[in-house]
Amino acid sequence: MRVIGVPQYLDDKGLDAVAEAIGGWPPTERLLFDARATKWASPYGFTALLTAGQGLREAGAETPRLAIPEAEEVRSYWAKAGFFKHAAEYFELHGKVPRRQPDRASGVLLPIMPIRASEDVHQVVAQIQEPAARILTGELNLEARATMRFTMALSEACQNVVEHAGTSGWAAVHAYNWRKRLGGRRVVVIAVSDPGIGFRASLAPVEAKKHGERWDDGRALEAALVHGTSRFRDPGRGQGLAAIKKYVLDWKGKISIRSGTARFTFVPPWDDDVPLAEGLAAFPGSQMQIVIPEQDGQTGGRADGRRGTT
Amino acid sequence: MILTIRLDDIMRLTGPVPSRHLVTRPTGAAVRGAIQSAIAASAAPTTRLDFGAVEVIDFSCADEIVAKLLLATEGGRYVVVCNVDEHQAEAIDHVLDRQDLAVVALPRGGGPCVLGRTTPDLRAAFAAVLAAGPGDTTRLASYLAWSVERTADALQTLALRRLVVAASGTFTPLPLQ
Repeated sequence: MRVIGVPQYLDDKGLDAVAEAIGGWPPTERLLFDARATKWASPYGFTALLTAGQGLREAGAETPRLAIPEAEEVRSYWAKAGFFKHAAEYFELHGKVPRRQPDRASGVLLPIMPIRASEDVHQVVAQIQEPAARILTGELNLEARATMRFTMALSEACQNVVEHAGTSGWAAVHAYNWRKRLGGRRVVVIAVSDPGIGFRASLAPVEAKKHGERWDDGRALEAALVHGTSRFRDPGRGQGLAAIKKYVLDWKGKISIRSGTARFTFVPPWDDDVPLAEGLAAFPGSQMQIVIPEQDGQTGGRADGRRGTT
Repeated sequence: MILTIRLDDIMRLTGPVPSRHLVTRPTGAAVRGAIQSAIAASAAPTTRLDFGAVEVIDFSCADEIVAKLLLATEGGRYVVVCNVDEHQAEAIDHVLDRQDLAVVALPRGGGPCVLGRTTPDLRAAFAAVLAAGPGDTTRLASYLAWSVERTADALQTLALRRLVVAASGTFTPLPLQ
């Protein structure tokens, strides 16, 4: 059995470490994810960990073990986020699992939800509107119309799973103070993840020939995110990611998508990430993260120019 | 004669779950199918799609409902979207522009306008037909203080895009009420 140490902070970079520790996909040994020392997980971390469990199931691997966090408040938050409810289906859980049900208190705008079909996207849209309106205008100082745009962006992100992944996936939305960046400013983070075919396989029929031997995960992400390429010939396709990009960049937010061994990021001025990270350890499917920061009263902020609290 | 279709009525009949949100392609395709059936069963040349009770429409659904409906609508039939709010207009405008399409819209609390691919000349000519009423190219050229050629080009483009009705050399606004 291979032991995968889950980082203390399980976020997008934490997933890179997890993928590295898995040592190639699909793994040949049974896995034990050791999260006993984990202190915090972002929605990206939660959905990616579930994606690993689902991906292992779909690859025919033996059910992995997951040693859950030892700290009671961490376990409680993971329960509130809806993680254990779904993890029990894909992991053999070890540790004391709280009985707490998922809820929306303290920053969980959307507990982890499975995205299997269009009906699930309707559920996500129905559930996100009220908390999104409260947080986006009340805490992030975004204009009122941002709620609709945010809902549309989330809808399109979830539809990418239904339309392109070839399997189901996961979505979650949290709000928190981001201490590692933005000086602890409030952010809303959307995470959508699936263990499906990924961007390279999805776009290969329409795009691979153009690139020849250079066709890889990075080129596929670039084709989708920069050029709006879709695997469908229909001219109406490929608008979802373009719309997400437009809205998020208007809000000075950050979008990153990891697929296979690459991650493409639209890097906002407040971040120092690289636009294209290649040669990452392989991880199945695709993982999207959208970070919307509290506005500073300039672009994307309230029309009345009200300043934020930073 | 106008056929008015309330999108919320269609959604109640076709949606996967009771909802005021027009999201996802399958939902959009189902709604469009119901709209096309209603249009086919009606003799009215103009169909108003009433978005008044709709909250969210995403790009995928706007593409399936409005863009694909315009592409599939036969000559002599006209479509107007009405009671659209700002974000609905934005989504419809975006998907139509991308496919070189346009539609007449009646925004909530606003006057008629064109969503989708347009130009300053087309917008001015559209406004002139609305303000001056039915007229031929010469009359509208005089109204706009443009050359006849420039006016004819704009009016013919509006007619081809089914944003005005053209008959026997006269250009007429679409019936909106």
